[in-house]
Amino acid sequence: MKMKNILKQIKFIPIVLLLLVSCEDLDLVPENVFTDANYWSSVSKAQTFLNTAYSQMENSSRFFYNEALSDNAYNGRGDNQGAASIAAGIYDPSLGRLKSEWNERYGGIKTCNLIIENIDRVPNADPAVIARMKAEARFLRAFQHFQLTTWFGDIPLLKKDPSLQEAKTITRTPHAEVVEFILDELDAVMPLLPKNTQLAEAERGRITVGAAAALKARVLLYESRWEDVIETTEDFMAMTYGQYSLFPSYEGLFEAKNEYNSEDILSLQYVPIDRMWGEFFDMAPISAGARLNALAPTQELVDSYLMLNGKRINESGSGYNENNPYINRDPRLTGTVVYDQYNWKEADGSSHIISIKPGVSPGNPDEYVQGSSATSTGYYTRKYYDVQHLTSLNSGLNLMLFRYADILLMYAEAKNELGQMNSTVWDQTIKALRTRAGFTDAAALSFNSSLNQLALQEIIRNERRTEFGMEGLRIFDIRRWKIAEDVLNGYAHGAKFGSSSVDNGYLRVNLRTFDPDKHYLWPVPRDERLINTNLSQNPNW
Amino acid sequence: MMKQSNCRKKKRMLLMRFFLTSILFFGGYVYSTAQNQKTQVTGVITSKSDNLSLPGVSVIDVSDSRNGVNADFDGRYTINVNSGTTTLRFTMIGYKPVEVKVNNRTAINVAMDLDISTLEEVVVVGYGTQKKRKVIGAIDQVNSQAFEGRPSVNATQALQGKAPSLIIQQNNSEPGAGLNINIRGISTLGNNTPLIVIDGIVGGDINALNPADIESVSVLKDAGSAAIYGSRANNGVVLITTKKGSKGKPLSVQFSSLVGYNNPFYFTKPVHGYENAMLRNEAAYNSGVDNAVFTSDQIAALKAKGDTEWFAEEIVKPALQLNQNVSVSGGSENSTYLVSLGYLDQESNFVGPKKGMQRYNFRINLTNEYGKFKLTSVLAYSKQKITDHSSSTGTLMVDAFRVPLYYTQKDEDGNYLTNDVLQQFNSLGILEQGGFRKYDNDDVFGALTAEYKLTSFLKLKGVFGGRLWNGSMYSRTKQVDFLPQGVYGADRDTNDESRKSLDLNTQFLVEFNKSFAGIHNVGAMIGVTNENHSDRGIGIYKKFTDPDLGTPTTETVIGDNSYNSNASSGKNSLNSLLGRVTYDYNDKYFAEFNFRYDGSSKFRKEIRWGFFPSATLGYALTKENFMEGYRDKVGNIKLKSSYGVLGNQNVPNFQYLTSYFTFQNAYGFNNSGVSGTGYNFANADLTWEKAATLNLGLEADFFKGALSFSFDYFNKVTRDILTKPRVPGVFGTSLPDFNNAEVQNRGWDLTATYRHKGKFLNQSLTINIGDSKNKVLRYSDGNENLTGVEELQVLTRVGLPFNSYVGLKRDGYFQNWEEIQGAAVPNGLNVQPGDNRYVDANKDGKIDDNDKFIFGNPFPRYTFGATYTADYKNFDVSIFIQGVGKRTMMIRGELVEPFHYNYGMTMYTHQLDYWTPQNPDARYPRLANNGTQSNTNNFRNGSDMYLYDGAYARLKNVQFGYSLPANAAEKLGMSRFRMYVSGQNLLTLSKVKFVDPELSEFNNSMGPSGANSGRAYPTQAYYGMGIDISF
Repeated sequence: MKMKNILKQIKFIPIVLLLLVSCEDLDLVPENVFTDANYWSSVSKAQTFLNTAYSQMENSSRFFYNEALSDNAYNGRGDNQGAASIAAGIYDPSLGRLKSEWNERYGGIKTCNLIIENIDRVPNADPAVIARMKAEARFLRAFQHFQLTTWFGDIPLLKKDPSLQEAKTITRTPHAEVVEFILDELDAVMPLLPKNTQLAEAERGRITVGAAAALKARVLLYESRWEDVIETTEDFMAMTYGQYSLFPSYEGLFEAKNEYNSEDILSLQYVPIDRMWGEFFDMAPISAGARLNALAPTQELVDSYLMLNGKRINESGSGYNENNPYINRDPRLTGTVVYDQYNWKEADGSSHIISIKPGVSPGNPDEYVQGSSATSTGYYTRKYYDVQHLTSLNSGLNLMLFRYADILLMYAEAKNELGQMNSTVWDQTIKALRTRAGFTDAAALSFNSSLNQLALQEIIRNERRTEFGMEGLRIFDIRRWKIAEDVLNGYAHGAKFGSSSVDNGYLRVNLRTFDPDKHYLWPVPRDERLINTNLSQNPNW
Repeated sequence: MMKQSNCRKKKRMLLMRFFLTSILFFGGYVYSTAQNQKTQVTGVITSKSDNLSLPGVSVIDVSDSRNGVNADFDGRYTINVNSGTTTLRFTMIGYKPVEVKVNNRTAINVAMDLDISTLEEVVVVGYGTQKKRKVIGAIDQVNSQAFEGRPSVNATQALQGKAPSLIIQQNNSEPGAGLNINIRGISTLGNNTPLIVIDGIVGGDINALNPADIESVSVLKDAGSAAIYGSRANNGVVLITTKKGSKGKPLSVQFSSLVGYNNPFYFTKPVHGYENAMLRNEAAYNSGVDNAVFTSDQIAALKAKGDTEWFAEEIVKPALQLNQNVSVSGGSENSTYLVSLGYLDQESNFVGPKKGMQRYNFRINLTNEYGKFKLTSVLAYSKQKITDHSSSTGTLMVDAFRVPLYYTQKDEDGNYLTNDVLQQFNSLGILEQGGFRKYDNDDVFGALTAEYKLTSFLKLKGVFGGRLWNGSMYSRTKQVDFLPQGVYGADRDTNDESRKSLDLNTQFLVEFNKSFAGIHNVGAMIGVTNENHSDRGIGIYKKFTDPDLGTPTTETVIGDNSYNSNASSGKNSLNSLLGRVTYDYNDKYFAEFNFRYDGSSKFRKEIRWGFFPSATLGYALTKENFMEGYRDKVGNIKLKSSYGVLGNQNVPNFQYLTSYFTFQNAYGFNNSGVSGTGYNFANADLTWEKAATLNLGLEADFFKGALSFSFDYFNKVTRDILTKPRVPGVFGTSLPDFNNAEVQNRGWDLTATYRHKGKFLNQSLTINIGDSKNKVLRYSDGNENLTGVEELQVLTRVGLPFNSYVGLKRDGYFQNWEEIQGAAVPNGLNVQPGDNRYVDANKDGKIDDNDKFIFGNPFPRYTFGATYTADYKNFDVSIFIQGVGKRTMMIRGELVEPFHYNYGMTMYTHQLDYWTPQNPDARYPRLANNGTQSNTNNFRNGSDMYLYDGAYARLKNVQFGYSLPANAAEKLGMSRFRMYVSGQNLLTLSKVKFVDPELSEFNNSMGPSGANSGRAYPTQAYYGMGIDISF
């Protein structure tokens, strides 16, 4: 009887206890994040999403280290952005750079697609504002596809955000089709974008119709569609897409005080303190505050700069002196490369001499010492050194992706490829650039009508190389000109600091191999093909 | 120096005074119960088994239960009784109570007999205790003796090697560094850390505990014992119970102090400076560089000058470690108390301003009984103060590690120097002047348990407890200028972080325990619990602050990584219903059923509840009549088996929700920063991992218990393992965990203990060994996952152990140019004689991905520990050896590759075994500069060259002690006085000689830990001495 009563009581105990305990709610909500249901509520929220897409466009590390993929520079310490491995031709589909280039660009495409697909959900927004933001996102999506197809050839083309299942089974779209998509998109968004002259000051750095036209010209250039290049660049030079001109000083072009100058078409935006890049910490002379040297210009780049008389150093009558090699040279050399006995200038007007040659000023940190932390080639970099840098050479200087000089050189190249180079075109392009660079000798400035198309091609290509030295464009030119097997095979060299028995005393810094049957296209990353077996591979990988 | 030690002495004096005051207080409390009476009875109480006096026996006048005394240290008692006809009751834990009629005697001597039934060990199990003879789960219990005399800084360290398959690995020897703790190997692909339960409360920090406060540690290994912890028990459960006072014991004071030095040492040694210069030349020559790096004059000069001190040795020095504990405990008939205070001071080995950890522990554990009501309260406070340098230890170590012996860190004028290897800063300057990070953590842990006996067989129990943790970090980075170049801390950061977390735990349990007809023993328990966790933190990061005070100046900026508490907050909650039914038939046949039904806030509402049951059977074979002969002659045998399902919910909060978050300075326009939005995609169907676990066990003892033996076999299959799905890059973002893998983990563990009690010499030996082997049964949509880990790769593939090493297989060296002709080499490289030759597995004439082999895996197997103790008269010795029987260890970076990426500029003595025509069978290939094709061939292609045999045995601890004879101690007013010397990490036996084999290259989630390169902190050998005193 008593037992029964107790049992009766027991039955209720768990229920009572459950009531007591379960007062703690399991439906908790996070305090610091939005959900898909409540995110797209205002234009400013959409704008911050778009800002993310901008930030994914390119990074400073790739901007600089891409130069070391070419014959212009050498990545002598570590394997930054895979530059050492790729330049030397010693990589396979597992290389980290391949994966990061692929993944980060598709990450950028996703952000763009999410904006394009969701921005119309923003209530009570000005349709013009939304249309422009959408156009910016489409430009960025086209830009990302362009980078991908340039490296990898055929790539998955994403006109919309894929589901996981779609992403796992998607196939590669042929390169030509990707290019058509990019060009169509650029044509479609150009009417929706403002000209640089229409941009409010606070908007500087945003995508303009000029940026879209410049990208279009570059896409066409990489396809060797010369007529189309001419059409676009001529419109550009006719100021159809905005007001652009060469900045008067080549050196000043890369200085913080001249940001947003008339030559800048689109640049990666950096902000002192808040958003900075710091690659010069491993590029500048050590005595200028660098920690070490990981990226150094090669002798091959230095040799490409003309003499002030317009001749190549190995041409007869050039006046080139191998033992005093840096005088009477294209002033852009000094604006780009730091060589032995370079006069290094700082913001306060002070300067000091960079002594690199071994034995001249022993023990100074910039001196070339084999295997040391100083330069591996005997050269350092000046272009984009920011005299207003903060600690550890961190800089808020913008990095230009497209500048007006490129429009001129694209025009010159296309004209010559079609056999239409003449003194008018020359004066508009090469002469203008050389004059701006500081050439005064008429031999360097005037058009030489005796040169044939091939000779002119070499001049224009070399002009491109020196004008854009250390700006990360050279590798793309090498690839489209199909000259990699010539310039990326054998040793990359440094200054004449070695023993004369080997390569005339020019330092052998890196043995490179380039297989034209294979290396013109990067392989699709290994991990990507392991997940998606529908992805084919490029030839011979 | 002098001043400092005085200061510390003063502090210790203060502590002592506090203790004396507490002792007086408690003493007064206990002795106030003594009263003056008429008839005095005296006597001596002895133990029947050995005729020795029994101190502390409680003597009570039955006619007046308030009238009681305790026997003194010699077993002598004096009690005043009301009348000569009363009866005295003698009680003592572990002995059968004795009642003696006084019969007007004034002297009564009593001999007490051991009570086997109460002496029997009690094992702590989930939400309760069980008598050891009734335990049928796979539980190992480690008792307090295991921790004594060892210079352990935390409880995890103290547990290493003490229980089979309780695998504790260090991935860093630095003071305050975390340890990997793992039970029975890898059964999930994420975090494998077991659930830690302290005094019944989930959520406490094992490393905040004072090891001296621990009474016992139960390791729940199988589903039978762990299922009651349901959705978090998959990795096993560690139950820690702290010491309490004993009923009916007079006040006793225990004092222990252990002081010693941690002496850092490296297994690696750099070569001589001049030797290194020659090796640099050799590498350059081999790379086709024809001008020498060092001229012969320079080398001769280096040789004449001799080596400078190795930077790595210059930045560490022996450091003091002090462990001190005082505890006061006792109890009356109805209450017990224990108060303890612990102090740990572990100095960092790094030079410069004093760094290290100090921990203060304070604890009060009380039990009170009021008739049917029992209240147990536990309150522990721990304060931890850590002072660290302002940099990262791995960076400081590796910078110092990589410099050849011809540079110096500091000149005569006190300037810190940079050089060709360390261009930016050196570690000495940072340690001495670069600022600090100070952590100050308060940890309050409390548990209140109320039990009410409804009837003799029915008990209600309510538990409320939890942990309040408050931690802060204050750091300053100070500018250090180096010569000729390099500046550290130019940003002059002043940072603060503060975080508060609260874990609350509420339990209501009903327990039923009844024996029917004396042979059917039935127990049942059912309960409901809630556990919840919340935390919030803030962080302020300022740059360019005042160099002296760290205060704001004109140029000071607040970093955009600063955060308010809403940006750094977390919450989760778990509601559960749990229960247990146990039955045994006359201690012969056992059956047990456990379950837990959990609802977790980490999952979507519709799928957040999970049920985790287990069933256990046990059979005491030797209780059968037909085994009686065996039992009497040999010993006991018990068979056990259990099967159940355990869970795991180790995923971050709110992972099932797709979320958007904003952050500052994603990009900029017109030179001002603009914020951006990031997004985290979700898997809304996220749910529990479930592990089906079978355990088969055998317990046996021999020679009347002198030798005991326990063996368990387990087989565990974990389904729905939470792993990151493999998402193609084209998808554009990563995805959170999915339930998409299945892993089997099988193994066994064994413990054997032998105790020998002689006339003078007592000895005991305990050996434990365990093994586990895991195999991936299913992995995200039938695929495999290959992940790069530094130079090598690890593979997760169906049929193989998790994270098996993958790489090329070396096939000796190319010995001459003929061998190179047409040979298979990676990526068309130009190799030379002396370069690694790799096995062309698919014989396609080239070395690539398709030629990779699967090697061993890094998880330790055959982990073992052995403890030997002996005492002879007043001397005692204890030796503890611990190790791993099999493990593939990856070593990398500068420890393998000479002049690693040109980051390191010295070679080490073990690397001298490199290929030359005269040394064709070398361990390492020929020397060649970084960036050469040979270097790429040899060191950039992950091969088994990076894998080493990680088996080892280590003399972990040795103690040698002397106790004063009882009478001598007594003269000094003590009941026990022991002094001893203790040494730790004294000797290591291993195949790999140039690294500490105990350091694991992986953390508890099998992520890389970085311990396998020159980044590792030096190993510590400890030498110390201590005293234990009881009053």
